[in-house]
Amino acid sequence: MPKLIIDNREIEVPEGTKVIKAAEKLGIYIPRFCFHHALGAVGACRVCAVKFQEGPVDGVQMSCMIDAQDGMKVSTADPEAADFRRSVIEWLMLNHPHDCPVCDEGGHCLLQDLTVAGGHGIRRSKGRKRTYTDQYLGPLVYHEMNRCIQCYRCVRFYREYSGYSDLGVTGIAGRVYFGRLREGILESPFAGNLIDICPTGVYTDRPSRYTGRRWDFERTPGVCIHCSLGCRTTVSARYRQVVRVEGRFSQQVNRDFICDRGRYGFYYADRPGRPRNGRINGQTVSAQQAVEEARDRLQRITQEHGPEAVGIIGSARSSLQTLSALVHLCHTTGWQGPVFRNTWIAGAAADAAVRALSPENAFSMREIETADAILAVGADPVNEAPMLALAMRQAQRTGAEIIAIDPRPLDWPFDFAHLACRAEEMEETLASAAERLSASRRPVVICGTEITDDGIVMQAADLVAGLRGSDKRAGLFCTMPQANSFGAALLDESNACAADLADRIETGQIRALAVFESDLWHVFPDRSRLSTALEKLDLLVSVDFLDTPLFENADIGIPSLTVFEAGGIYVNQEGRAQQVRPAHTGGLPIAAAGLGDHPPRSFSPDVPGRDMPAAWAAAFSLSGQAPPETDAQMTAWMRDNFAVLADLAHMEADGVRLFAGRKVSIPDEAQIPEKKPDQFLELLPAPTIFGGEPMSGHSQCLRELAGLPAVWMARADADRLGIADDDRVSLGFENIEVTLNVRISDPMAQGVLVVYRHPDIDWQPAPDGKRIFISEDQIRRIEKA
Amino acid sequence: METRVLLKNRKPDRILDLDEYRASGGYTAAEEMLQTGRPADVQEVLEAAGLLGRGGAAFPMGVKLSTVAEDAPFPRYLVCNADEMEPGTFKDRVLIHTSPHLLIEGMLLAAFSVRAEHGIIFIRPEYENAARILEREAALAREHGLLGKNIFSSGFNFDIVVHRSGGRYICGEGTALLNALEGKRPNPRKPPPYPTVRGLWQLPTVVQNVETLCFVPHVVQNGAEWFRNLATGPDEAGTKIFSVSGRVRRPGCYELPMGTALSEIIETHAGGMAGDGRFKACLPGGASTGYMPESMYHQEMGYKGLSDAGFRLGTAAVMVFDHSACLVGATVNLLAFFARESCGWCTPCREGLPYMHDLLRRIENGQGRAEFVPMLREMAGQMGLAYCAFAPGAAAPVESLITYFEDELREHIETRRCPFETRGPIAGATK
Amino acid sequence: MLAEQIRAELEKQIAAADHPQELAVDVMLAFQEAAGYLSDTALEAAAAMLKMHPVEIEEIATFYTFIYREPVGQNVIHICDSVICWLDGSESLMDYICRKLGIAPGQTTPDGGFTLLPACCLGYCDRSPAMMINRKVYGHLSRERIDDILARFEHEEPA
Ligand SMILES: Cc1cc2nc3c(=O)[nH]c(=O)nc-3n(C[C@H](O)[C@H](O)[C@H](O)COP(=O)(O)O)c2cc1C
Ligand code: SF4
Ligand code: FES
Repeated sequence: MPKLIIDNREIEVPEGTKVIKAAEKLGIYIPRFCFHHALGAVGACRVCAVKFQEGPVDGVQMSCMIDAQDGMKVSTADPEAADFRRSVIEWLMLNHPHDCPVCDEGGHCLLQDLTVAGGHGIRRSKGRKRTYTDQYLGPLVYHEMNRCIQCYRCVRFYREYSGYSDLGVTGIAGRVYFGRLREGILESPFAGNLIDICPTGVYTDRPSRYTGRRWDFERTPGVCIHCSLGCRTTVSARYRQVVRVEGRFSQQVNRDFICDRGRYGFYYADRPGRPRNGRINGQTVSAQQAVEEARDRLQRITQEHGPEAVGIIGSARSSLQTLSALVHLCHTTGWQGPVFRNTWIAGAAADAAVRALSPENAFSMREIETADAILAVGADPVNEAPMLALAMRQAQRTGAEIIAIDPRPLDWPFDFAHLACRAEEMEETLASAAERLSASRRPVVICGTEITDDGIVMQAADLVAGLRGSDKRAGLFCTMPQANSFGAALLDESNACAADLADRIETGQIRALAVFESDLWHVFPDRSRLSTALEKLDLLVSVDFLDTPLFENADIGIPSLTVFEAGGIYVNQEGRAQQVRPAHTGGLPIAAAGLGDHPPRSFSPDVPGRDMPAAWAAAFSLSGQAPPETDAQMTAWMRDNFAVLADLAHMEADGVRLFAGRKVSIPDEAQIPEKKPDQFLELLPAPTIFGGEPMSGHSQCLRELAGLPAVWMARADADRLGIADDDRVSLGFENIEVTLNVRISDPMAQGVLVVYRHPDIDWQPAPDGKRIFISEDQIRRIEKA
Repeated sequence: METRVLLKNRKPDRILDLDEYRASGGYTAAEEMLQTGRPADVQEVLEAAGLLGRGGAAFPMGVKLSTVAEDAPFPRYLVCNADEMEPGTFKDRVLIHTSPHLLIEGMLLAAFSVRAEHGIIFIRPEYENAARILEREAALAREHGLLGKNIFSSGFNFDIVVHRSGGRYICGEGTALLNALEGKRPNPRKPPPYPTVRGLWQLPTVVQNVETLCFVPHVVQNGAEWFRNLATGPDEAGTKIFSVSGRVRRPGCYELPMGTALSEIIETHAGGMAGDGRFKACLPGGASTGYMPESMYHQEMGYKGLSDAGFRLGTAAVMVFDHSACLVGATVNLLAFFARESCGWCTPCREGLPYMHDLLRRIENGQGRAEFVPMLREMAGQMGLAYCAFAPGAAAPVESLITYFEDELREHIETRRCPFETRGPIAGATK
Repeated sequence: MLAEQIRAELEKQIAAADHPQELAVDVMLAFQEAAGYLSDTALEAAAAMLKMHPVEIEEIATFYTFIYREPVGQNVIHICDSVICWLDGSESLMDYICRKLGIAPGQTTPDGGFTLLPACCLGYCDRSPAMMINRKVYGHLSRERIDDILARFEHEEPA
């Protein structure tokens, strides 16, 4: 480990550490534009110059390009180096606009900071400034090329780090331009990171332009809840409204970046239709009144028909607080549930994953980056857990071989071998592909839980166990459907699913249902059955922060707080419990309260819309218990009441890992997928990055990216059925018929029709929650108009 | 005295064809070496001969070859740098038009010394004729078994393709050239790793200038001692082709002993100063070297001699200015060239050079201010911290202008105009 | 857009190359040869042949002097504006050509006959001032010689 002296202070750093990083460890910030710790050093901007006074390197040099070595004596304050850095800034400012007051980056602009810090205050040049034409880059990222200082960070991130190619650098000399060939939406679902990574205001956050300066915002550390990875974010709120979300560094999870779903998924929290008042039989009441009414009516039904007459449904998009409060609620009242899953089949794979993961085999995303071979089975990271795709890409950049076993057409930003097969072929394909991991030293098996069944998950876990050896570290990484799927599985002891409750409603056993933050309407496999069942109920209570169809139709609606107002703990897919703090106090945003007339002119003694409960508090109230008063008390209560949550006491910056062991309750027999009958195709609904997830689906800017609803099929199938790319087909099953555009893909599994979830496709075609087969003659090609 | 080694077979207006080249002893060095020599022999004799790269950087070729490790991966590449975009330089064009097979044989020997199978000639698009000559003659060489598989029955395979550039000065920089060849933006790469370790497509690659390669057959044939003795003194080695241009009576290429005095080059070979002009200054080695003032008129022009005097021989493109030429104007022109050709990768070059150009142009146009001079001096010095050697090259004329011709700058500033009436009458009139 | 024979020849080279990207400049130049300049459609076609993203082609197309991304005249004049030609009066020759053709540097004559562009040192400093028309260099320029040379082109029938 080389030891060196920087500004008269000694430091020892690992071999290969750049001097700029070594200085950081001493708390010395050497200016930089092109250097970024995730992207590495390229030596383009030249602003990190320092003086090497003694040792193997001599004179003024770029600290980002030189490895720390023994015997170095470095000065950052040396006049020659400081003068040079000042010149670099003067050169960069020659063409940079002086309009910081109207630039959205103003106030958190690295160029602004370093210009002031470097002492360049007066423009000496008499020359004119060069200007460029900006491009429209889509609904997320705003482009202003005049502000560019040519640090090349954007293309380096976009191309090298994230693996997309439609952003490039053109021109030469003083006309170097960063943009697309033509205007248009950036293709990368990670494009939003350009905003964070650009040291000036070339790429700024489009939807939140001009909503405030960074110092105006309440900035709170957050955790993304739009998929199961739990990436770290920084949430910016102003006037009781979230306005911007950025990536936040986490050593073990997402490192620096987040995906665009995570960045722009928050708009559900303040959309106009969000429930902010209670509702009783269609009448608007206060939230408190709704809670009390629900409590009274549920108690009455319990008294009249016994506790079995009340069912409780929750979902994995709720915080651990809410999930545990629901478990407690059923314990104390004897009500049925809570159920967190729709059918046994639907949750089985995720449960198997939770059971299989242990401290020995669970890999974090950070560990994926250093894997040397990756086998992904039934997992489509770009659509299910986007940041995982970036971690896999980093592994590949350092040489990892990647194999995918999946029926879907996979569009990943790195090279991989795609073994396309249907569910019933997966087991065999996995068994034979496992061979290819035998030579690697850090192999990882990534297993999805949305389109797979528990059998595959167990097989993947066995495979990992078999790969582990004295000189080998093998890992298992499972993606899960929702932010708190892991947490839900940890707490789920009900031995029931929503379909079971539906049975009991149908038999009249259950007469009242309270549904907490669940998208039952959209995810329950058989909607007609669900609506008949709900009709039959004496009482339907819905607790939610989304205006779901269920909330609209409930007898009693109780509005709940979002994660931005209530905070909460979420357990990501590797069992990492992470704490989210509330980002603002809650209440109606000023923009809404003032009806656009800002600030509101009417006087009121309290914040409008502040009386909503967190869902967990509502859960306590329904049983007549007083909820713990503070967040801290609630966490303590959770630790005391649930053994699996005891480790929450050890929550650190990177969260705390919770593991289930074999506690999770699932049927012991793994299912065997049925075979696809001849002359039938399997219809496979699949998750998708934009538009398919309930919360982020409310973000207008993301819906723009969802594209048109389409059905994907393998070339061989299309040829056989006489269907061409871009044709329209109608698919008929049961009593539903949908019309979709055809996309032909190669490779993808034959005999499968993949339909990505889309806000415009609103059906549940799986009557029993099993695989859906559609006969070939129910696929009709529609003549184009 | 002219000592023609490379240009010994120079014919007016035509190339030396293959038969003539062989008749004059061509390909015997290669034949003998491939059949009986070891790759290391070539490296050793070149190192002993002290053959320095003629493309501008003057790096010893033998040393460079020896940095391709024995066990380095294959395939390996030999790249001939025929980009020749350094203003004032035209020797590589003359060499190709004189004796293309000398270059081909030189490449063959150099390739043999590092066991490279692929040869690439990277040539600027302005030299389309030269490119065609090379393609034609390489095909001929292939027909005669001088290229291709199992050359001279030695088991060694080597072939050459000609790669036309899209045209940019920076492409001549050895590492930018590799990016250009790969179909990427020709930004330079920062060693280490050096191209001989990881070059084209991450494989070992030797990049040499046309002139350097042309010396190889001669050195292999005649030995190190012979080569060293070609120069004027013990500190230098070999001959050098001087591309002489500007205010001389007979501009052109002259192959002279390394270390020949500037005055001799101008008076004996280039016919003396044009018209009744008096020597004022010259750029000794292309646009990226500094002005040599009148006091250095008798300077010996060799790599060692010039570097001892604080100058660089560069490509030995001697650009001569007389007293009617405005050196401020000339430097504005040079800076315009560099600002336009900068690859745009690093800040000092991309932004600093246009700034320097702007300041100097203002001086030339009579809008200069006294404080511009120290600003220019500081910035010129800071160009040394750019990413590659382009920007320091661009700064060299500016630095020397300020050092040796500050009076001329001050005169522009104080009189608020350029004191030179004209930039010289049009075309040829003085010659 | 590209004559079949040329396309076939290029495709053969691409198929034979270890690294097709090496041929990027050749492919661009071939398209340019056919249409005078590298049009947007040609750029996309070149990208498709090389299996590169179109913006990757644009990245290098816009780097090089001799790739024209905008239409040019039938004959492209590159007049050297580097220092030796400058010393020998290239500025006034540039003016002269501009006046003669009635265009500014960078423009094309209305009849599409000539485009005038400045160029870096052409490597013909021994015959300065120099210019290049369609890859052929003309040295020792004077006004008279320029008249002569341009007249030769004017008499050529448009292709
Ligand atoms: C900006 C720049 C331009 C260069 N242009 C050329 C060139 O046109 N031809 C050339 O042979 N070397 C050129 N060089 C030098 C090359 O980098 C490299 O040193 C040379 O080709 C190696 O060959 P040599 O050792 O035989 O000279 C240039 C260097 C720089 C920094
Ligand atoms: S000095 Fe910098 S900008 Fe200039 S050519 Fe070299 S790398 Fe490019
Ligand atoms: S940060 Fe070191 S050169 Fe840009």
